[in-house]
Amino acid sequence: MKVEILLPHQRMIEIEELRSLLFNSPAAEPFNESAMNASIDLSRRIFQDQQARSYPELLALAFWMRKVEILQLHKQFCSLELNNRLLAPRGLVFHMPPRNVDTMFVYSWLLAALCGNRNVIRLSPQLSESGRILLRLLRDTLVAAAEPIRNSTTIISYGHEEEPTAMLSALCDVRVIWGGDQTVSTIRRSPLAPHGKEITFPDRYALSVIQAKAYGELTKDMRDSLADQFFNDSYWFDQMACSSPRLIVWVGDEPQTLAASADFFPRLAECVERRRYLLPPAAAMQKLLYTCSSILDYPVSSCRQFKGLTVLTLESLSGFQRNHPGGGLFFEARIKCLTEISSVLERRDQTLTWFGFAPDELFALARNLNGRSIDRIVPIGQALQFHRFWDGYDLLQEFCRCIYIESAPLQSLSPASKRDCAFA
Amino acid sequence: MTLDDLIQRPQYSVPQQQKEAALLAELTRLSNHHRERSREYARLAEVLFPGSADPSSLAELPYLPVALFKERLLSSVSEKEVFKVLESSGTTAQTPSRIVLDIETARLQTVALSRVMASVLGANRLPMILVETPDLIRDRRQFNARAAGLLGMMNFGKNHFYALNTDLELLLPQLKEFLHHFGSEPFLIFGFTFLVWTRFYQPLADAGLDFSNGILIHSGGWKKLQEEAVSAADFRAALKRSMGLTKVYNFYGMVEQVGSVFLEGDDGYFYPPNFADVIVRDPYTYKELPIGETGVLEVISALPRSYPGHCLLTEDLGVIHAVDSSTSNRLGKAFSVLGRIPKAELRGCSDVIAAKEGR
Repeated sequence: MKVEILLPHQRMIEIEELRSLLFNSPAAEPFNESAMNASIDLSRRIFQDQQARSYPELLALAFWMRKVEILQLHKQFCSLELNNRLLAPRGLVFHMPPRNVDTMFVYSWLLAALCGNRNVIRLSPQLSESGRILLRLLRDTLVAAAEPIRNSTTIISYGHEEEPTAMLSALCDVRVIWGGDQTVSTIRRSPLAPHGKEITFPDRYALSVIQAKAYGELTKDMRDSLADQFFNDSYWFDQMACSSPRLIVWVGDEPQTLAASADFFPRLAECVERRRYLLPPAAAMQKLLYTCSSILDYPVSSCRQFKGLTVLTLESLSGFQRNHPGGGLFFEARIKCLTEISSVLERRDQTLTWFGFAPDELFALARNLNGRSIDRIVPIGQALQFHRFWDGYDLLQEFCRCIYIESAPLQSLSPASKRDCAFA
Repeated sequence: MTLDDLIQRPQYSVPQQQKEAALLAELTRLSNHHRERSREYARLAEVLFPGSADPSSLAELPYLPVALFKERLLSSVSEKEVFKVLESSGTTAQTPSRIVLDIETARLQTVALSRVMASVLGANRLPMILVETPDLIRDRRQFNARAAGLLGMMNFGKNHFYALNTDLELLLPQLKEFLHHFGSEPFLIFGFTFLVWTRFYQPLADAGLDFSNGILIHSGGWKKLQEEAVSAADFRAALKRSMGLTKVYNFYGMVEQVGSVFLEGDDGYFYPPNFADVIVRDPYTYKELPIGETGVLEVISALPRSYPGHCLLTEDLGVIHAVDSSTSNRLGKAFSVLGRIPKAELRGCSDVIAAKEGR
């Protein structure tokens, strides 16, 4: 069977040939100069590209790969290498990025590549416009780059065939699956090598908590700005990114939470209008259908509808499921204090965005959850901001093997003790 | 005007304003009937359309998305009153709609459909050609909306003749015999649009047979014909040219509102019968759109008693061309159906490969 290579050069390749191609290439030193320069170069190319500039998610990616960020990452990486510990690349990383969040493959690639790994990335044959732009810019970047990053990366494209997935799974040292639960299960039918490691990003859920009293104390401009940040978090990927909030929980007493909710959503609706967000009619229909189902399944006490925004008020969060149609539909609920939320949170809940809480309240919540739920707690406005810490992983660490080195000689073999030995 | 008046009066004879007043009274009653008998409907109406118990126009009546009948069995009758449950055909991958009928609703559907058909067929049963294979209703395992539609239409004909064999091939000698017997008086032809075009018109295009006394009623949508680049106008022109068939009536209808069919006028537009209406809504806000603007079609029917399907937001796009200014001797709204809302896929993190398994 043949698959298509998209990078470095577009051509068809037999799976066996691809195998020997990947099998032979060596890994590189973490944060080698060529890798860092290539990241910075790609960032620059995105900023300068006429087409790329019209996609906010590409600009966010470029921003994340600027020189200061890469240097920062390098510093963080060095701090991971403690006394007796050396971080080495794992080898070959097989990335399966999500079909629809087009920038994800670059984030995933970049962290693995900076760690010195070789990479093979499988992209869907239905590549979006922004995905195509990224691919072009990445190709230009690598062609211009120095070794070893220059030949560190292969991007391939194939459909739903199991054969290439099976070959790459058996060959790679790390398999990264960005995708839903079903995708993870499907791909897991292909076994890894015995030493192989897997990082999965299954279906996740995100929600927001807002301290109603603190919200009430904001000026009108600040409330608009908060709504704007919230809009970015939720609408950029049609509310379908794992970390896009879908539930808002107001914290405070009843008059405060009611007032905050009544004030916030019209502002959000204005944002939706101002940014000219339009949901395709078929998706709007799905949203209406889902709204009907929710009203029948949950204790929904009211439904507020704005253009591109639907708000369903829940009387209680018990029995609340995490499936969601996206496209600007929000549940809201009220609780008296932040700790109350623990009982409704579950494994699937990944990101909690917040406004108006003190650091110790947030840390206390995380301590209380104790790993049972929630992997990220970030301010409203940072839901989509990618980070080396994601879904409970430290990706810099995950893409490396940890080599333990004890360099002090054994006491009994040191020159001072040799004499003792001789005596014995 | 009561519902019976609306059904019994000649169809398309009530001016829009008068019709809306009668329908508003009838549908407000009907909505309250469903609120009392269907817990689900009452809840949806209350939460989605607060304050809609006393609407001042048809557009203010609560409506449900038609696909909800695929997800839920919505009923306004007790289990022992259920006469039958209709299922939409759909493809195998799709969940079918399920529509609960009691005897009263089934009766209303039959009477109403006959009144609509009478407007183009007259009062008597006509000799009838079915552009179908008899297998369709012979195989009860596949008994679906298409078969139900066929059976429903057979009531308006006699001397039924199935023009296609098992392989959907035209039985030409038998067809000639039919025309020899019945071709000099009005006769009825019924079939699904795509079959009529590919299995009836195309093999007959050069046969030189005379169908000028025929009345063709067809339905099923243009999707497949659009793929072959055949427009409604092409369809009519071709049938007229090569078969002499000028009385051609497409209709728009759905299993969720059986009996409430929108029959094409001579001008090629659909018209709601007296007991039904249509509203075009903005696909982004669902506000009612004015004449001439394209949006999502809502279909309104006074027939459904046993299930809350009297106001349904369809997944079809349409446009109203005119009201009460018919070029077809019909009053009411003249509209076109422009096909399904185009499919859309939202972005997100899921589904690298699972899409294959899902659909």
